[in-house]
Amino acid sequence: MRGIASFLRLTLRSRARRVAGLIAFGLLFLAAGATARIFTGDEHGHIEMDQIFALGGTTLVSALLLMGWLVGRFPLIAAVVLMAGIFSDDRARGHARIYAVLPHSPVVLYGARFLLLASLAFLMSALLLPMFDIIVLGVLPHATVFALIGGQVIVFGTLTALLSTFTRADAWAALFVGVTGIVWDGLRRVELVAALPPAFRQAVSVVLPPQGALARIETAFASLQPVPWDAVLYVSLYGALLLVIAGAILARREI
Amino acid sequence: MIEFENVTKRYGRRRRVVALRDVSLEVPAGSVWAVVGPNGAGKSTLLALALGFIRPTRGAVLLGGMPPRYHLRDNGAGYLSERFSLPPEWRVRDALRGLARLAGGRAGDADRAAGRFGLEPHLGRRIGELSRGLLQRVGLAQALLVPRDLVVLDEPTEGLDPVWRIRLRDIVADLRDEGRTVIIASHDLGEVERVADRAILLEGGAVREILDTRSGDPPSSWRITLAAPFDRAAEVFPAAAMEPDGTVFTVALPGPAELSERVAALVALGGLVVAVEPLRQPLEERVREALGDDA
Repeated sequence: MRGIASFLRLTLRSRARRVAGLIAFGLLFLAAGATARIFTGDEHGHIEMDQIFALGGTTLVSALLLMGWLVGRFPLIAAVVLMAGIFSDDRARGHARIYAVLPHSPVVLYGARFLLLASLAFLMSALLLPMFDIIVLGVLPHATVFALIGGQVIVFGTLTALLSTFTRADAWAALFVGVTGIVWDGLRRVELVAALPPAFRQAVSVVLPPQGALARIETAFASLQPVPWDAVLYVSLYGALLLVIAGAILARREI
Repeated sequence: MIEFENVTKRYGRRRRVVALRDVSLEVPAGSVWAVVGPNGAGKSTLLALALGFIRPTRGAVLLGGMPPRYHLRDNGAGYLSERFSLPPEWRVRDALRGLARLAGGRAGDADRAAGRFGLEPHLGRRIGELSRGLLQRVGLAQALLVPRDLVVLDEPTEGLDPVWRIRLRDIVADLRDEGRTVIIASHDLGEVERVADRAILLEGGAVREILDTRSGDPPSSWRITLAAPFDRAAEVFPAAAMEPDGTVFTVALPGPAELSERVAALVALGGLVVAVEPLRQPLEERVREALGDDA
């Protein structure tokens, strides 16, 4: 265990710049939210869109809406940024071979690294999102926010980690697959893919990230509803499956 | 310790590139072996197969009687990669201590290894700030953090200054004395000759020859160096080939007994002998002979 702890400390040192970048990125949201509240907040602490429009027109309103949308994706961004190169960087730079001659299973080493980085992404998001809500809306967020954060971290963290066993472009590939999942889910909802064979639709929906489940969690969060546990379970199983595949590949992967 | 049984390794999309071709060899435990050959001969591939980083396309590689990855998971190995690197943001002390703990050792092992390779003044520096030579010493230190039965060094002298090359020689000799198995891939044939028991000569992915760098047969020629020219040397060594300055000459004799007798006679006559060196055919020459025109 002492050895794994050392490995994780070194991992943190390698990721220090990314963590600092994510903190700076998060602070930017908080600063923007605080500024909006100072200039346009009402007596309940809510930000008034009319006042924002009066101050900066549609540009400022759009900027705030975009910021709200983006802050909701912070867990996704944090997970992808922290996981990028989780294995592929080591393989490309030859560090994986240094670890491979140590008396540890690579699955255990990289599994521990995954858990550390996923926890970090969760922790940073779990601080940022509630703080943003408190600043912008003046209320404590519903507990569903943690399901939302967990869901995104699990889906995009495991996806990036799995892709990292194949390619150095793991983060970009994860984002591409993620966006494809969002687009596919949108098309499916408005029945634009209804003409495709049902088996094909089913297969694509299973292979792509579970955007439908994530969307249900997000809807529950936005409408202050209880946590949709079935969606959380689906997302967790998806993540577990990707991790098992990644582990199996790692155990046999040439380095 | 390491067995290669008809190992072939192919790379590429259609596996057209043959990196190693039908290699069979056995490296016994407790010996120092070198892997030599021109660029692209398959030296690094051979080491990568021995440590289980890659799998053979055909044949089998066994380390300690089992697949290399299983053996390493239980026993580990010391390993210096070619063009060694670590994350540039790590500090030398943290890197060595972290890797020592990961290797099952303690912080003290890291400090000892740092001392052995003269890294104490650089412990607080980041890896990215180190010169090539210092980085190579960090690589050697991390490879030898804790005692391992198997130590694999890929181009260990690369970037090292002459002083550290000599120290590395001593360290490899210590490893041999401790009964460790050491494998060194190198272009430096002079260095290989000094440290290795045997050298695997690779060419085009095939084993051309396994050269005995410490032949058990006693040499039949010696170079004798005198402190000053001594005319009566010709009385004892009438067939000696004397070099122009009159202090160095080469003799061919049936064996060491005859040599000892003659040297004793030379000393009795008043000759001051400074050195007696056995002459073997240099490895470089033997490699050149083995490779023929390709050398």
